[in-house]
Amino acid sequence: MRLGKIISVSNLRVDILLENRKIDIRNIVYAERDGRRDYFEVAQIDGSIALAIPFGSVNGLKKGLDVYLHEGGLQMEYSDRILGRVFNAFGGPIDGLTLQSSCTKNIYNKSLTLSEIEIAGDILHTGIKALDFFAPMQKGFKMGLLGGAGVGKTVLIKELINNVYKGFGSNSVFIGIGERSREGKELYDEMLESNLLDKLAIAFGQMGESPMARSRVVYSGLTLAEYLRDEKKQDVLLFIDNMYRMIQSNSEISAELGHMLVDNGYSTTLLSDVSEVEERINSTENGSVTSFQAIYIPADDLADAAVNALLSHLDGQVVLDRKIAEKGLYPAIDVFHTKSRLVTPEKIGKRHYGLVNEVIRYLAQYQELEKIVAVLGIEDLSEENYNIFYRSRKLRNYFTQPMFVTEQFTGLAGQFVEISAVLDDVEAILSGKYDAEDESTFSYVGAINHG
Amino acid sequence: MDGYINEVVNDKINAIKNKNNVYELGRVLQIHDYILEVSGLENAAFFERVFIGNKAEGYINRIGRKSLTVVLVKKSSPVFVGDEVAASGEMFCAYYSANSIGHIVDIFAEDKLCNQFFSGREKINIETPPLPIMDRTRVHRPLYTGISSIDLLYPIGRGQRQLIIGDKKTGKTQIALDTIVNQRGEDVLCIYIAIGKSKKEVKEVYSELFRYGAMEYTIILAAFQDECAPVLLNTPQAGISIAEKYMLQGRDVLVIIDDLKKHADNYREISLLSGKAPGRDAYPSDIFFTHASMLEKGCQHKNGGSITILPIVEIKNGDITDYISTNIISITDGQIVLSAKNYERGQKPATDFGLSVSRLGGAVQTADLRKLGSIVRRELLFYLETSVVFELANMDGMGNELRDKMSRGKEILARMNQYRFEARTPQEVVKLFEELAEMRQ
Repeated sequence: MRLGKIISVSNLRVDILLENRKIDIRNIVYAERDGRRDYFEVAQIDGSIALAIPFGSVNGLKKGLDVYLHEGGLQMEYSDRILGRVFNAFGGPIDGLTLQSSCTKNIYNKSLTLSEIEIAGDILHTGIKALDFFAPMQKGFKMGLLGGAGVGKTVLIKELINNVYKGFGSNSVFIGIGERSREGKELYDEMLESNLLDKLAIAFGQMGESPMARSRVVYSGLTLAEYLRDEKKQDVLLFIDNMYRMIQSNSEISAELGHMLVDNGYSTTLLSDVSEVEERINSTENGSVTSFQAIYIPADDLADAAVNALLSHLDGQVVLDRKIAEKGLYPAIDVFHTKSRLVTPEKIGKRHYGLVNEVIRYLAQYQELEKIVAVLGIEDLSEENYNIFYRSRKLRNYFTQPMFVTEQFTGLAGQFVEISAVLDDVEAILSGKYDAEDESTFSYVGAINHG
Repeated sequence: MDGYINEVVNDKINAIKNKNNVYELGRVLQIHDYILEVSGLENAAFFERVFIGNKAEGYINRIGRKSLTVVLVKKSSPVFVGDEVAASGEMFCAYYSANSIGHIVDIFAEDKLCNQFFSGREKINIETPPLPIMDRTRVHRPLYTGISSIDLLYPIGRGQRQLIIGDKKTGKTQIALDTIVNQRGEDVLCIYIAIGKSKKEVKEVYSELFRYGAMEYTIILAAFQDECAPVLLNTPQAGISIAEKYMLQGRDVLVIIDDLKKHADNYREISLLSGKAPGRDAYPSDIFFTHASMLEKGCQHKNGGSITILPIVEIKNGDITDYISTNIISITDGQIVLSAKNYERGQKPATDFGLSVSRLGGAVQTADLRKLGSIVRRELLFYLETSVVFELANMDGMGNELRDKMSRGKEILARMNQYRFEARTPQEVVKLFEELAEMRQ
């Protein structure tokens, strides 16, 4: 159906003079030239002019080209054929294999109602000491992994895929938003090589792709997860790397639409964009959706508006810090900002709860002592502070961990550590049992085994 | 209502058509430096090349409802309001000639030393579609820089993007030059992209590379600050497109971009002048995408070719957490951070070992370098971190083990010192650090 003509073109926006007004926001339209089609999504309608966002490059587009409606809008495969496959943001397979489509669904699904949402769930162990100790998880949780550039978010996500997905025995979905294509391909290769691909569905809109691809891939990916939850009635693991990039691409689009930008150039619709996506990531009585969401912190600014918009939806957060990474301590977890809704005496027990508080008290004190020691030396510390100083350094080292996914880099074998062992070890360090040991023996080990 | 609008539009079109042939011709309405507002040219395409008489050349950057925007890439004499603008019917593109290897060129394939076009010019698309994810394979073959702190601790592989970042005068360009010189005999085509560097600096780079015989396999693609800003904006993309052409033929290419901060600042200038809404730090909202789509071309292609990219970013006061730096860090596969403090202490290269990272690490190293590298890195980081905490503490108060570790760390740091163009082969690096690693066992 012919809708109208193009009357203006800029980098991320095409204006269409409508002859036919039967058109809605988020309808997909296309123009044809030299035998190829350029797709656009309608973003705004001002009287008889529609503003649309192109899916790809606009080079070569002209005024006067006819625009047609693409029936059905953006569709994603909605069947068992999604497993083991890789899709782009617009629902097309990109792994070079053919797809015999049996059923598809529009990617803009509605969010869940209050009565549909299920909040109970069992505890879920990740085998990563610092995560299970400071930010324990349960099924159906949304855990944010936050960090600035290059402090280890992606490594942590990959370790979680390794530890949780492999042990979980259920289907999972990975959504790559605005991250490196190299890492995306590596993930695919690794899953293929270790025969884990058949339970995984992947959607990619990586950083070299258009803003539209990066902005919409999350909807495509969520449609995959919803199929597994609603039709297969399964507990689903959802890995998203990286949620911030969706907001970033929205602000690129928003700027071109001429919207007033807020707070460091974010789009006006920042909060509603985030809610629309996050409210779809929930558990129902059919099955749970447990998500790990990597969140990039721009310019190392934890107070960033986009980061905070995402944080308000999460049940827990793990914050990675550059100052800790700088010291070679990985995962570079900032324990003071890492938390989980589960850390209450009722949920994790009094012992675990008490230990978390004690460790944080020690490490907070250590920060102060570090400054004193640098100036006055260790000799002038009281006995109590002397113990806190050395035990804190041991604790700090203890929460480093060799990862399975970095074996080739560190030369150390990965370790999966049970939470019971972590609690025993932490208790022993705090009690002074290991005061005579050298602190370096606590670095990059699993559970301590000192006889 | 619809019918009425159509009528108005058609009347207008017919009136213009009858008057003169504005479909191919337009007139300059407004001039803001190198950005022109043009009326007419109703049939022009986005990114089409246009000419303003024989005075200037540019491309269409926006097609508005009433007028369009042209940005200039070349201007030989002043452009006035009312000047005629002619569409060329072809997309704006860069030019390249295989004969330009060994020379300083610009994106029009003009030899900058003698101001003549090379023969055998061919068109190069500035914007190319993203490489399909499935066309990439693992980055695993090393690209040796000859610098031991890099080859041993933060290695670079063919197809890797490794950022070089640091304050002014900390040796960023030097690392790039050392790396180019070290590719002699390796069958790697090198493209050094200079953006907004002074002419003097570019000539120095040329003469250094020439002196070490590296110009034989190197192209210097330069855009100077006194050229139209859109040229500076498009030069790195054009350089990467040249690299892509060779990679798709199965060649290994090394691209240096010196530097991306200047590129970002230029883009900001153009964007603000064209009246676009400013984002964080007044950079355009798509600054991340601009850099990402370019650097994502760096990869190991499944056909065997590769593009290795070493972008350079200049920072202030050692702060790598500013907007542009963190953007690029989050694109690249690692970063070599150079510190002014280390530079002043005489450490050459002035690598900040704590902040430098290679995300590919051992994957691009041979087994012996990998094993040695992980030991040396751990020892060195431990030494650096501990020496800060215990800066004034008495060494005698430490246990024997700790004291040994400290003196070993100090020796490792000393052996990392290496002056310009003093490349060490991987074998020499292994020999130099092996005994230190053995002392530990």
